[in-house]
Amino acid sequence: MRRPIRWALLATVACVSLTAGAQRPRARTKVRRAKPDSAMTPGMHDMHDMHDMSDMGMPVPMPKGMPMIPGLVGVVPPVTSFLPGAGVDVRRLPSAARTRVVRLGNGDTLDLTAGLVRRTIQGRSFVMYGFNGQVPGPLVRVPQNATITVRFHNRLDQPSAVHWHGVRLDNRSDGVPGLTQDAVAAGKDFVYTVRFPDAGIYWYHPHVREDIQQALGLFGNVRVDSPERDYYSPVNREEMLMLGDLLVNGDTLIPFGKESPTFALMGRVGNVLLVNGEPQYSLRAHQGDVVRFFLTNVSSSRTYNLSFGGAPIKIVASDASRFEREELVPSVVIAPAERYVVEARFARPGRFAVVNAVQSINHYIGEFASEVDTLGIITVDAAPAMPDYGKQFAALRVNRAVSRDVDRYRPYFDRAPDKSLTLTVATSALPLATVQFMNVDTAYFAPIEWVDGMPDMNWLSTGKQVRWILRDDATGKENMDIDWHVARNSMIRVRIFNDPKSFHPMQHPIHLHGQRMLVIARDGVLTDNFAWKDTALIPVGSTVDLLIDAANPGAWMMHCHIAEHLEAGMMAVMHVDQGAPARR
Amino acid sequence: MAFAWARCSVLATMLVTTHAGPFDIPLFNTPLAPTAQGEARLVFAHSPFGVAVTADGHARYDVSLRVSGLPVPASLGTYSAFVAWEVSTDLSHWHRLGAVTNGQSTVGQAELDKFLLVITAEPNADVVSHTGPTVLHGTSPSGWLQSFLSHPLFRGLPP
Repeated sequence: MRRPIRWALLATVACVSLTAGAQRPRARTKVRRAKPDSAMTPGMHDMHDMHDMSDMGMPVPMPKGMPMIPGLVGVVPPVTSFLPGAGVDVRRLPSAARTRVVRLGNGDTLDLTAGLVRRTIQGRSFVMYGFNGQVPGPLVRVPQNATITVRFHNRLDQPSAVHWHGVRLDNRSDGVPGLTQDAVAAGKDFVYTVRFPDAGIYWYHPHVREDIQQALGLFGNVRVDSPERDYYSPVNREEMLMLGDLLVNGDTLIPFGKESPTFALMGRVGNVLLVNGEPQYSLRAHQGDVVRFFLTNVSSSRTYNLSFGGAPIKIVASDASRFEREELVPSVVIAPAERYVVEARFARPGRFAVVNAVQSINHYIGEFASEVDTLGIITVDAAPAMPDYGKQFAALRVNRAVSRDVDRYRPYFDRAPDKSLTLTVATSALPLATVQFMNVDTAYFAPIEWVDGMPDMNWLSTGKQVRWILRDDATGKENMDIDWHVARNSMIRVRIFNDPKSFHPMQHPIHLHGQRMLVIARDGVLTDNFAWKDTALIPVGSTVDLLIDAANPGAWMMHCHIAEHLEAGMMAVMHVDQGAPARR
Repeated sequence: MAFAWARCSVLATMLVTTHAGPFDIPLFNTPLAPTAQGEARLVFAHSPFGVAVTADGHARYDVSLRVSGLPVPASLGTYSAFVAWEVSTDLSHWHRLGAVTNGQSTVGQAELDKFLLVITAEPNADVVSHTGPTVLHGTSPSGWLQSFLSHPLFRGLPP
């Protein structure tokens, strides 16, 4: 890591120019404070219309029965459109392959190439991205405490880098351009050294324009295997499910913003839901089978409420550890970047639909509506499970090792917060109709926006107009101006309040790189079943207390994992300073 | 043991330091109980995900009440208790939350998207359907959602 770090350099994080090979600092090296829209004059609307947006003219698809606000008809986002593979004949690209498992041992090397692929989704072919020609990328399986070398080759049409999400690795390999490395220019390479100290399920993805690169297929899982043979309960089979979505209109992907992301208000919420990159997941099982699902949400913005056709679900683990005790749950709520390990038992033959079932809000008529998307079908035949793990499934395990680990941190649970953040947003130069609507639709805020209830307004908002904010309550500093230094091996209690009175309140999955943390309380209620996390969902209006185990030295990003919110500024850096000895 | 100790101390700390909850429901009295007042607070029910919802996506909230000024139930008729209900906005569905007294009560879980919170006087605290008069009532925050279809914005008219 280069020291001292200059803020101007930090501001380039995840916002490198899309010009191939270029690494220009972010346009706004010092984050500006956007003028509140409540004070906006009609003239700003006119200014908005002055951009050259001839290739952004495709209207965003609206949900059935929901009209586009007349004042927004014909308006387009003030950015140049971008889709990958300009000038490339999609028919000449290799078709994306299914994920392959790569088993690596300590000291092994993986070659990981990001490149263009052809993906055919619902009969339509698109130029998209993949790692090693696969979507999702290779499933890397390593033993706990292994260290591997990853030779990354960028064969995209833009700069990139690879972040090893949730892994407490050495800072220089964290994959954050402008902070831990330079972006890897198109055609160039970079070598990561990745160690895996914690068992569990992790993932890798770019940390450059995630709103584009991750959305187009650059993601993959890492499974770190514990040496304990009974780390998990016995099951009949295991499945890795990476949950994503894609926004299409007819035969075309809705273009991305070249200089700045579109959908900056809510993030891009796709209208085609995908499991492992495919719109129809399928699985065959026997009656009585217990299936362990490793779930990773790789969507830009969507939070899922997942269930398996009424099959009982047992929660086992999350981001960086198992839970203290297993629980039966009605469904799995999983925000972007989170992981959950769950088990489900299919006790009878039949077809079990894997569904995302949520209550959406139609903001125009002020009503809730049930939305159910079927992500796939699990077909269970009448042959009996062999072996039958019904007894083991029924037993809810207590993981005393997790509790013993957490016990060491309980003395810190009642300390006053060391830091506190408020989550909010500032906007400028949004279309007038958007501002008018947002200003009047303030009587109620949903703690979670499960769907995009206002796609027209969302599409027209860009990172030029929307600035999502992490504000340090003690100093008033925001985003990359926040300058936290904490001592290695200290415990940091951070209180995060998601301000419901902002212009557009929304939930934020806050991710901290390179450390692990406990969500110790929500809205004053202590968590009573802990698992170590690296990403915590902060609903609108909620106050969430995190206890960060700051054991890993370096400069680490903390940011919202809604890709467009990240690109719109919602990020800060926490320095864990060297000096204290490693904790035993 | 460590857990119990931690829970008590953390709650004590947080009750005085956290922001007001976002899901507070002011309760309004009726002429039957003019001295009654109070509020309800909705906090997500326990969930390992932090956000508690049903399989079909309805939010699940623990409902706690802080009420004062309730009269003696018998002063209103043949009643001996007050009971809180989660009521659908068309008044067709009444879900018993629990018995209420002056002071703080935690009374159960609400699962409707929009609902009325109603406190009635009842013959006893264990009734499963309501028969008595309303003394306090409020509306879930989601009840404030408005329809904008008639707004000039949606008719292509200037605001």
